[in-house]
Amino acid sequence: MLSIQQVTKKIEDKSLLDNVSFDVPKGSSIGLIGPNGAGKSTLMKLISAYEKPTSGSITFHGQDVQQWNVKKLAQRIAVLTQEGLAAYPIKVFDAVLLGRYPHLGFFQRESKKDYQLVEDVLAFTSLTDLKDQFLDTLSGGERQRVAIAKAMVQQPELLLLDEPTTFLDIGHQLNILKLVKEWQQKDNLTVIMVMHDLNLASQFCEELILMSEGKVVRSGSNEEIIDSDLLKNVYHTTPEIIRHPKSNVPQILLGHF
Amino acid sequence: MKRPTLTHSFGKVAFWSILLSIILLIVMSLSITLGAASIDFIVVWKVVLSKIPIIQNWITVDWKESTETIIWDIRLPRVILGALVGAALSLAGAIYQGVLRNPLADPFILGVSSGASFGAALVMAFGWQIAWLGKFTLPFIAFLTGLASLMIVYYLATVERKMRVETLILSGVVIQAFLGACLSLIMALSNEQLQTIVFWMMGSLSLTDWSYNQIVFPVISIAVIIAYFFSRDLNMFGLGEEVAHHSGVSVQRSRIIMLVLASLITGAAVSVSGAIGFVGLVIPHIIRLIFGADYRMIIPLSVIGGAIFLVGADAFARTIMAPRELPLGIITAFLGAPFFAYLLRRARRGYF
Repeated sequence: MLSIQQVTKKIEDKSLLDNVSFDVPKGSSIGLIGPNGAGKSTLMKLISAYEKPTSGSITFHGQDVQQWNVKKLAQRIAVLTQEGLAAYPIKVFDAVLLGRYPHLGFFQRESKKDYQLVEDVLAFTSLTDLKDQFLDTLSGGERQRVAIAKAMVQQPELLLLDEPTTFLDIGHQLNILKLVKEWQQKDNLTVIMVMHDLNLASQFCEELILMSEGKVVRSGSNEEIIDSDLLKNVYHTTPEIIRHPKSNVPQILLGHF
Repeated sequence: MKRPTLTHSFGKVAFWSILLSIILLIVMSLSITLGAASIDFIVVWKVVLSKIPIIQNWITVDWKESTETIIWDIRLPRVILGALVGAALSLAGAIYQGVLRNPLADPFILGVSSGASFGAALVMAFGWQIAWLGKFTLPFIAFLTGLASLMIVYYLATVERKMRVETLILSGVVIQAFLGACLSLIMALSNEQLQTIVFWMMGSLSLTDWSYNQIVFPVISIAVIIAYFFSRDLNMFGLGEEVAHHSGVSVQRSRIIMLVLASLITGAAVSVSGAIGFVGLVIPHIIRLIFGADYRMIIPLSVIGGAIFLVGADAFARTIMAPRELPLGIITAFLGAPFFAYLLRRARRGYF
């Protein structure tokens, strides 16, 4: 579905991404991990055609994303960034309704179907009680949930998440990821997410891609990537690997002082 | 649970639009009654209705001809022009604030007003007259110079076909500063016309007849309709530029269309009335504080609100020191600035 081929991104002489290639099959959930400056967010911006690669190409359904019409692309790819939605004084319902934008013609008004969809999604994301609140009165976690609801209303087949939980406490972090997981199972959604938290990435993603200094270091299952030696080379710290007592997936503990 | 209906928000917009329109009509008719010759409120309506085909058959003429002249030929065109200019400046302000994501943006931020003032000052100082334009020479030249300065601002702010908001605002400041100097130079050199130029720059509706309305009305009406269709895009800008892109908005294209549209209507307004400040800043702000930042509300309500405000301000300007007439720009600043300050103090909302 999505194919990234020899993508390089340079700003002046500095290389942010260097010859990155991988494929994303439909229905997969891929986690991009790696230290700061590895080029994860840059890659996300290239996939969503917000920025252009210096060389190489990213094709979505056989066509370069740069060639896609912005509106057509938004019908199929939704994005959630760490900042999420700005604290703009508009009602939650109306903010979510804006997710229908790519499906509406310039002169077209939202139909009953669109309104019903927004209602359903608000219920799914437990936002029904907040729908008449203004966005700027919500907490960071609530606003990020509105961002997810807006992305759901967009009905994409590919969801890009760029550290969606960075500014949230652990309760809200898990809450957001659970929502995405449920959504993924419901609609056979493809998810690519940038994650700083290796433990959450290990639990959430089927495949992890470890990046460093603009290159893919290795990709594979969490068993392969959450590896003490591998992570040590990239992060320059030695984590302890243990098993999650419930799910048995590999988890890390940071070194002692 | 409250059931949302298709007409949920649309009904609200319609309700407030109609209510404000009624207030606008009342303020306009009251403004017509004011002046050296006091005229009865009812007579104002009778005269206006007597000009409409079919309805005129029902109205008996029981007023003096001079009254009709005062209403129809002198005061009504002025009041309507005031409403149009107020609507235009307010709409332009609302658009600038949305597109530039800056609550302090006003219709004059991109140098349109400085350009127009410069052009107008040239015409007045040198007494130019283009034969086939006649009395429209001044508004025409003012419009052109306003547009030209806008193009220079865009040119300065565009790098590799992309336009950054910060650079755009700074370019506006640069052009305003330069044109300000040019304007001062002209004023320093033109002794006799100095007063006319100063008066024009402070804004006035005194040089009006119907022909001005015939030019400004279509421009403003078309702009309002186009702007309304962009209200979704403007809301999206509010959620963030990147969010807008990811939701399918062609950010660069929408932004340029909106900025050019806002600048055109600013140019149209300034060319007939001079630079009238504060309308574009205060009115959209008030609407936002009361109704929130949804542009489906802001656009229609700013348009009508701006019209009410300027018609009211003009009524003050004409009557408060009668028979002397004050420049309109002074009144709008006197009314607008303190009210704005009051609203800022009690504002709850963080974004705007």
